[in-house]
Amino acid sequence: MSEAPIRTAGLSKRYGSVTALSDLDLELAPGEVLGYLGPNGAGKTTTIRLLLGLIHPSAGTATIFGLDARDDAVAAHRRLGYVPGEASLWPSLTGAETLHLLGRIQGRVDTSYRDELTQRFDLDPSMKVRAYSKGNRQKLVLIGALMTRPDLLLLDEPTSGLDPLMEQAFRECVHEARQRGQTVFLSSHILSEVEALCDRVAILRSGRLVDTGTLAQLRHLSSLTVEATFDGTVPDLSRVPGVSGVEVHGQQLRCQVQGEIEPLLKVLAHSRVHELLSREPSLEELFLAHYGPQHEEPHADVR
Amino acid sequence: MSAELVALPATGGNAAGPATVARSASVTATRAARHAVRAGAVWGLAFGAYIASQALGYASAYPTRAQRAALAGQFSSGGLNALMGPARDLSTVAGYTAWKSLTVLTIVGSVWGLLSATKMLRGEEDTGRWEVLLAGRTTARRATAQTLVGLGAGLVTLFSVTAVITVILGRGSKVPMASGSALYFALSVTCGAGLYVAGGALAGQLVATRRQAAALTGGFFGVSFALRAVADTVRSLSWLRWVSPLGWVEELRPLTGSHPLALAPIAASTVAMAAGAIWLAGRRDLDASVFPDRSRARPRTALLTGPIGLAVRLGRGGLAGWLAAVLAETLLLTSVTSQEIKTLRHTSGATGVFTRLSGHAAIGKAYLSVVFLMVALVVMLMAAGQIVAARHEEAAGRLDHLLVRPVSRTRWYVERVALAVGIGLLGGLVGGACAAAVVSGQHLDVSARSVVAAGLNMVPPTACAVGIAAFALAVAPRLTAAVTYTVITWSFLVELLGGITASSRWLLDTSLLHQMAAAPARAPNLLSSGLLVAVSGACVVAGALIFARRDLVDE
Repeated sequence: MSEAPIRTAGLSKRYGSVTALSDLDLELAPGEVLGYLGPNGAGKTTTIRLLLGLIHPSAGTATIFGLDARDDAVAAHRRLGYVPGEASLWPSLTGAETLHLLGRIQGRVDTSYRDELTQRFDLDPSMKVRAYSKGNRQKLVLIGALMTRPDLLLLDEPTSGLDPLMEQAFRECVHEARQRGQTVFLSSHILSEVEALCDRVAILRSGRLVDTGTLAQLRHLSSLTVEATFDGTVPDLSRVPGVSGVEVHGQQLRCQVQGEIEPLLKVLAHSRVHELLSREPSLEELFLAHYGPQHEEPHADVR
Repeated sequence: MSAELVALPATGGNAAGPATVARSASVTATRAARHAVRAGAVWGLAFGAYIASQALGYASAYPTRAQRAALAGQFSSGGLNALMGPARDLSTVAGYTAWKSLTVLTIVGSVWGLLSATKMLRGEEDTGRWEVLLAGRTTARRATAQTLVGLGAGLVTLFSVTAVITVILGRGSKVPMASGSALYFALSVTCGAGLYVAGGALAGQLVATRRQAAALTGGFFGVSFALRAVADTVRSLSWLRWVSPLGWVEELRPLTGSHPLALAPIAASTVAMAAGAIWLAGRRDLDASVFPDRSRARPRTALLTGPIGLAVRLGRGGLAGWLAAVLAETLLLTSVTSQEIKTLRHTSGATGVFTRLSGHAAIGKAYLSVVFLMVALVVMLMAAGQIVAARHEEAAGRLDHLLVRPVSRTRWYVERVALAVGIGLLGGLVGGACAAAVVSGQHLDVSARSVVAAGLNMVPPTACAVGIAAFALAVAPRLTAAVTYTVITWSFLVELLGGITASSRWLLDTSLLHQMAAAPARAPNLLSSGLLVAVSGACVVAGALIFARRDLVDE
């Protein structure tokens, strides 16, 4: 049985009295694409830097393909590629020189794929890094990570600064990576990106993992939105199990349904329903459900 | 930056009145001033301490008129003139203090000025913070002017602190100095800093990066120093002093027959360069420069094979500059060895100084050992600067790109230390070989081999400085530069001043350069060299262990 690309157990990081990450238990399966969500300061970047061994845990362990992220970092890094959210590169090198350097250090580069990526991302490699825009610098680190075809991609807000066309090119690259069996850990704020790319989602809040699962599982746990228009009187739904958030405007009704929908349908069947709409929550609604005002924590000052 | 935004009215828009605009405008100056005033106060204290140590040391070491006359005689030769400027009136405390302080403090102040100006102006633009600033309620021209006002506050602080210490010193019985003369002296030793603040600001408009701006201003400074050195060495070319900013400073002649007319070119140049910088800032686009930067280049990948190759590639320009400085300093000081020996043989007072600095040796060897002490300072700065550069890589987040690949922390750390020591070794070899080549043509009683060995003798203290810097990088990364340059400056000043004026053994032992045998006057001491290397090795081993287990720390 192959080792999990990422496995953490009780992984924690504290800076003095501030807890940046608390008791993270997470495991990725080979070939999986995991979306790692959370607002600014939730602990996403801290998690990635712990996995990379750039910072050391206050407690717990993290392994990459069974290798300790801290003690076996060199061996682990042979199998991964990393894209930071903010690309700080050597200003005096050109794009081509930067890719050459990163490839030589990594030790393996698919040069034809590198050239293909350079074309797909429309990057001019003869320019010096200092002359690149933010988006072009981001393309450079993306190519630098993808060109080695690593078994694991750690992406920390990788499309920061990319235009929509390049973001589409990035999504295609992630799709291809998944088809090849590469594992992807995608930290992102762009929910549509996560929705389009990820098999599973993990949601982080104030340094704690608050939810994890496939989108279908998360949607199942969340409310279904039902909107109905009646020809006659709007029925009383106050005693229907699982129904909440009832809003009535004239002959229009809107409510949320948690769990089985059958009790609601039974009540509606006795009314003159003119129009009935129901939809699953989007990832954005799921995300907001975890971060709405009722979930605000005043001491959430982690990074 | 945030302060700039905070200064704007909460409602935003264009409804802010002139008062708000003025307040917003003053924020930039305040921010620049905060940094500059703090640094100016620290440097002012250092300047004052240096001046006081020179004056009081002279007064206690040479209490009689005869001793002072003898000392005055020994320091009237070409080599020292080139380095320190002409010695005038060395038989007085004031004359000696002016001679020992003017050039040294002008150099320190000028380097501080050019580095501060390029950092606060072009450096801010490089990091992108200038863009955020200009998005606020200001213009490039106004922001540049405000930053220069802030830096000006730092210069005023530097002058004020230096002046207060000098005036207090002059009121004592040991160092009689009128308050007016003390103020003029303080102005003389600090005006170079103002000149190079303006120079750095102008260079920041001419070229595209902070590094280029610092190199351009540094090159201008080097030419200025060389012109002044030639003017002070060759009598027929003394007019060159008037085309060199450092020559203008020298012409001020503080405490030795003041010549305030020389303030005119200094003030005019400072104002012209500052005005030029402000004008150009308004004429160019953000991130652009008057001299266009090459934004494209053909790939040169020969060195880009790993972390150490990358470090060499990134630092090769600076390294070439440092090696040129080692060569120039060695050439300058050794080319006048015969002349120096003749002068020193006729001055009995020289014996005491050179005995303390280099032991009981022939005067030629003693002179060369002092030359190598001077060269060792540059070699140490060149080598230990590599560790400071390594810290910059970490602070900027660029080290992440290496350490997320199959590069162990220990490998990166040890390679950077090895590179720094290797550069120190190269500096020692270049200095020794250059000195041997120059001295061999002067028919001295010194073998070329012993001179080369004297060059290599600089390597152990250099390695020790590198080791201490590397330990600081591991333990207190944000203090790496401060620790490194403090250790080196302290070592040099204690050894130099401790040699000229009698100092306690304990104090001398704190200097790394004091542990270096005064070669070629004395044979290199293998035991002390071994101890220095061992201390360096212990620092590096401990540092490597700590570095492997600490978090990376960015800015």
